[in-house]
Amino acid sequence: MDNEHFFQNQGQAANPGGETAPKNPVVENIQQLGQTNTPTAGESNIYCMTIIGQVEGHLVLPPQNKTTKYEHLIPQLVAAEQNPKIEGILIILNTVGGDVEAGLAIAEMIATISKPTVTLVLGGGHSIGVPIAVAADRSFIVETATMTIHPIRLNGLVIGVPQTFEYLEKMQERVIRFVTKHSHISEQRFKELMFTTGELTRDIGTTVIGADAVASGLIDSLGGVGEAMSELNRLIEEYRKMKAGNPGVNIQ
Amino acid sequence: MILYSVVPPETVWPQNEKFSPNYIDITVNGTGMQVEPVDLGRAKIVRLYSANPEDYMNPRLAPGSIIEWKPMV
Repeated sequence: MDNEHFFQNQGQAANPGGETAPKNPVVENIQQLGQTNTPTAGESNIYCMTIIGQVEGHLVLPPQNKTTKYEHLIPQLVAAEQNPKIEGILIILNTVGGDVEAGLAIAEMIATISKPTVTLVLGGGHSIGVPIAVAADRSFIVETATMTIHPIRLNGLVIGVPQTFEYLEKMQERVIRFVTKHSHISEQRFKELMFTTGELTRDIGTTVIGADAVASGLIDSLGGVGEAMSELNRLIEEYRKMKAGNPGVNIQ
Repeated sequence: MILYSVVPPETVWPQNEKFSPNYIDITVNGTGMQVEPVDLGRAKIVRLYSANPEDYMNPRLAPGSIIEWKPMV
């Protein structure tokens, strides 16, 4: 549809017979902004969200870190849920991890959205990227992507009392519980991956690559953007039918 | 705050560099935002304070984008 509109405009602009040929909006954008328009929510029925670099939480990270700001993503997910033109959400991950609270907040938002959601792990979905990757209705990982599963550590000032350890354990339990609830991996298997020694050079844990993530039940299937999109379109179709058959229903 | 990441904390927070941004709060066209002044008349958006979810979908208001803004004298 957008292409049709584009070609129509081009035809008009190229037509010398037309008295006032309307300017091509694409060309105008290139001249003014140095780039074509970014696709906005109104133009596609899919909202594509990227989670890259560090998931930034309660602390602003120094500028050399590439960050995803959770306080910006959360209202975007609200807008995507509320906007009737958006029918599905594709979340693309290439993250090194980040703030536990912020990461779990994004993961819970994705998990509780009523519209179909699909996640795709490209490159890496490490640490707090793991719960985000499993939060959607369906998850995909490309063959070369990796996911590092390792224990949570405390940063900054740590008070050396036994309660600190308990607190840390509780924080870790939140991540484990979320991941096991939203994927097919068992708690035992996930903990095995998390506490393996000898796999990572400077940490405890495991790096699972593409097919391994699928074999362990963490991610649903192996595939790239094509597979993720066709699955999202299938879920959208299902969601439409469900809504048409039972108006007012909210499926997960 | 717990950073759960594969990047070591010393890389995230380098000890030798000082990070002291100069953030200010402004309102542009009714949308409240936190910005970092770049030069005279321009500022880089850090985050929005808006309660309208559609503002967060607006690419012009995305964090990191430059907006025109004149400081009140």
